[in-house]
This record gives sequence, C-alpha cells and structure tokens, in this order.
Amino acid sequence: MSTIVLKSEHWDGHTHGDEINHSHHNIRHKHGEGSSIDFYAYASNIRNWNPAFKVSLSLLILVLSIVLNNPYVSLTVIVAMAYLTIIEGGLSIHAYLSILMIPISFILLGTITIGIDFSIQPIGQYNLYLGFFYVFTSQAKLKIMFFLMLKVFAAISAMEMMTLSTPSSEIISVMQRVHVPKLFTELMNLIYRYIFILIDVNIKMRNSANSRLGFCDIKTAWYTFGKIASNLLIVSFKKANAYYDAMEARCYDGDLIFLEEVKEVNTLQIAKAAVFVIFLILLWGFTR
Amino acid sequence: MGEPILKIRDLYYAYGNGTPALNRIDADIYEGEKIAVIGANGAGKSTFFLNANGVLTPDRGEISYRGMIINKKNLKELRKNIGIVFQDADNQIIASTVMAEVGFGPMNLKLPKEEVLRRVEEALTYMNILDYKDRPPHYLSGGEKKRVSIADIIAMKSEIIIFDEPTAGLDPLNTQMLEEVLVKLGSEGKTMLISTHDVDFVYRWAERAIVFSQGKIIADGTPLKIFQNEEVLKKANLKRPTLMEIYDLLVEKHLLEDTKAYPTSTQAFKEMLGNM
Repeated sequence: MSTIVLKSEHWDGHTHGDEINHSHHNIRHKHGEGSSIDFYAYASNIRNWNPAFKVSLSLLILVLSIVLNNPYVSLTVIVAMAYLTIIEGGLSIHAYLSILMIPISFILLGTITIGIDFSIQPIGQYNLYLGFFYVFTSQAKLKIMFFLMLKVFAAISAMEMMTLSTPSSEIISVMQRVHVPKLFTELMNLIYRYIFILIDVNIKMRNSANSRLGFCDIKTAWYTFGKIASNLLIVSFKKANAYYDAMEARCYDGDLIFLEEVKEVNTLQIAKAAVFVIFLILLWGFTR
Repeated sequence: MGEPILKIRDLYYAYGNGTPALNRIDADIYEGEKIAVIGANGAGKSTFFLNANGVLTPDRGEISYRGMIINKKNLKELRKNIGIVFQDADNQIIASTVMAEVGFGPMNLKLPKEEVLRRVEEALTYMNILDYKDRPPHYLSGGEKKRVSIADIIAMKSEIIIFDEPTAGLDPLNTQMLEEVLVKLGSEGKTMLISTHDVDFVYRWAERAIVFSQGKIIADGTPLKIFQNEEVLKKANLKRPTLMEIYDLLVEKHLLEDTKAYPTSTQAFKEMLGNM
C-alpha cells in the first residue's frame, strides 16, 4: 500500500510521468496489477468524458474488431485506442505497454497452437525435426496466427481504453442504467470499496507477522499464511458489521443509492466516434 | 432550557453474551449543548451512541426525540436527526468517490437531486475538501478521510452530531483541525456529543460531561465539578486535566490565592497570573 500512497501524492500523474513509471513497477511486483489500473483510471485526462459513451464505444469497437475479422481494422483499432489512452488520456507509453503485455503469455499460448502442428512425417511448407517428430507450419498458417493476434490485441486495447479511463464506480453506474440486476451492481460497488480495505488489513497483518519472524522458513510461512487468512475472514465479518451499523446510522434502508456526477455527452465526441466506426466498416469493405 | 431534544429513560442494552453493556441509563440532551462523554474502553459509550441513533434497539427503556417516543415506525426520524461520525473512518466510508460518499446520507433521506448536490457542495466546502470531490476514498490520507466522514454527517443536517473518539489516530495538526471544526460547529449552535479520552480537551471544550463506567452513568455535570469529584475520577480511572493540577499545585505551595476559579484555557491562566 505504501507505493499507492506515494503515488497519490503525485496526483496529477501525467505531469509526473516518470515517477509513475517507476512506482508502477513496484506495484506490479508487490500487489498485483489491479490497484495501479484503478489508479490510472482516476488520473486519466479523459476521465471527465461521459462514462456511458466510453463504455459503449469500447464495447462497440470490441464487437467490431471481432466480427469484421480484418487485420487492417485490427491495426487501426490498436493505433486508435493507444492514441486515446496515451495522447488524450495522458498515460505514459511505458505504463500502457506493460498493462497491454499482461495477457501476452495467454495470447501466445493460444495462438501458437493454431500456427504450428506436429507430425511424424516431414510435411508442410516449413518443418523442423525434433528427434521423434516434426513441427511444421506454413505461410498461410503463420498469417492466420498473426492476424488472430492482431485481432485479440485490438479487442484488448478497446477494453483497456475503457478501464484505463473510467473508474469502476462509473462503469458500475453505467451497468445500473442498462438494468443489470441490482444485486450484482450493489455487490460490485461494495466489493470494489472493500477490496482496498482488505488489502490494507492484510498488509498490516503480514507486516506484524513478519516483524515477529512469522516468515522465517517455509513451514512457518505456510502456517502464518493460514493464520492470516483465517484472521482476515474474522476481521472481515467484524468489519461488515461495523459497516452495516454505519450505513444504518445514515438512514440506509435496503437500497444502495449513490449520488452520481452528471457528465455531459459531448456531441462532437459522438460525431468523431461515429466517423471512426464508419471508417472501420469502410476499411473492412475495401480490404475484404 | 425548555424541552430536551433527546430524552433517554431507563435504557438497558445487552449484547449477545448477556452481560449488560448499558444498564439503566437516563439522560436528557438539550439544544446547543456541548457534551463530552468520557469513560474507559468498554464502558458503554459507543453502545450508548448506537442506541441513541437507533442502530441498536434497546432491550428496555425508551428514547424520545422532541417529545416523540421512538418506535419501529419513526426510527428513521431519529437516525435522520442524530448523526454519528464513527471512530474509524474506514468503517464509515462506503462509496467510491468522495462526492458519492457525502451524498449517501442525503440520498437515503430521499431528497431531490439538486438539494443533495447543494448539500454535498456545502458540506465539502465546510470541511475544506471540495477539491477532493472526485477522488476515491482509498487514495486519501487518514486526516482527509476523517474530514470526509464529518462532511458525511454535516450534509445530513442532523440536529445532534455524535463524534465517537474523533481524535483517535490523528496527528496533532489534524487534531487541531478537528477542534477548530468542533468550535465552528459549536458557534453555530449545533448540539454535539463527543466521546474522548483526552481530559484536557474535555476541560477546555465541553459544557457538560457524562461519565460512563461499566454500562452506567456515574456522573453528569460540568467538567469542573466532575474533575473535582475524587470518587468519580477513581471509579472511572480518569486523570485530572493538567491545568487543574497545576492550579491546585500553585495553591498548595501558596503561590496562588485559592479562589476556586479554575482557568479553562492557558490564555485564561496567563491572565490570572498576570493579575497577581
């Protein structure tokens, strides 16, 4: 958590790009990517755009890049989304790339199996003898693999555009407006708020265990881990009770309703988005 | 003094394990009073607050708000008019932005949106945190979170504000900020109840002190009277405020004439010494 506090001092993240890059690495290795993505969303310059617009635009582009299934469209989407996130949103290129690279191993594992195949006979355009069997592939197959990767990256960058510029609470409120069941949206809201408290409590417990040699060897470390996990459960029950009392004290009566800021929909933005979508479809039409 | 805002009679409350947390509590709270609630940990202060706000339902006894006896039906009236600022801001802050958080109470009061926005703006300005409006609570510092949790209650415009150990975990600067807010609220005639362990604060701020010990109120009166009562101090494990100690020491050493006019602030003490 210490790194997050450090970062929030540089609230105007875009003017301190280097520092963010620097602590970004710390965060990734320490507490997972979640918290820093959350932080970037709050620091984004395009945060004040209408959230419903951002969510629907990124969903539409996600669908388009999958349905149109065209490498030129995918490339355009990748470039356009990077433009929105980096140039408009003010995220550093380094941070953007490292977030985009999170799913890279999944994508490679998924696409390589499409690109190559195994055989006992030396067949295919290119093959490689590996002692017992041949690994073979062809230009056509490599092309399919490459295009598929482009498509996946286009889809991911469309989603990243949304998550890196829209805080979770705003995404949840968009979901509320399209009538996702209340049970889910309320749970999402509470879980989102609660995650940070639990992370905090967990770090405190780990530190206090660590200061008493709780992680001195593997056996003790496992034992301590179990103790912390069970303690975390008890603490969260207690916290849930305290939370509920505090909510009731402010007249909570079963409906979780939050005040939302109205962010005006900019007609120019919608027009630009429409032009972009039409351009994608035309591009697909011409390169089919 | 007129009618009390809150009238508590013969309140009895026990938690699951059967031992009473509150036992035969009687208290009247009048408009504009600045009350300190003191007592050891586990003496029943927090339980008393939760009962007074209607979160906990007393096992016996009754609470009346402005002459209206509170039952299940008008419980909301009690919650609306008596706000609690909880000890741990993290247990109170529920929304993911400061604005939504401060708006939570007014939204629950089913006020029109313009009114909610106006109140939120007002409360944030009051606590000097208007700039944090769009920030999520998990990127705020402890002192900032405390301000948010106070703004929460200010936005509800409740008649009585209860602060449960508000200075716990705050640094001196934030404690000072908090005291300024309390003085400001006091000058506007807000009725306040504050639980604290800081006897010096009680002595300089409060007009009335209520002492809890093992679920009972053992003393209720001006801080001066209470801090002069050895029996109460011993029973509740309380120390005397430093200023009173010093005054008595000076009297004992015949450096000061014993007029029993205890000074309530260092400033008043200075003036008193200057007059000699």
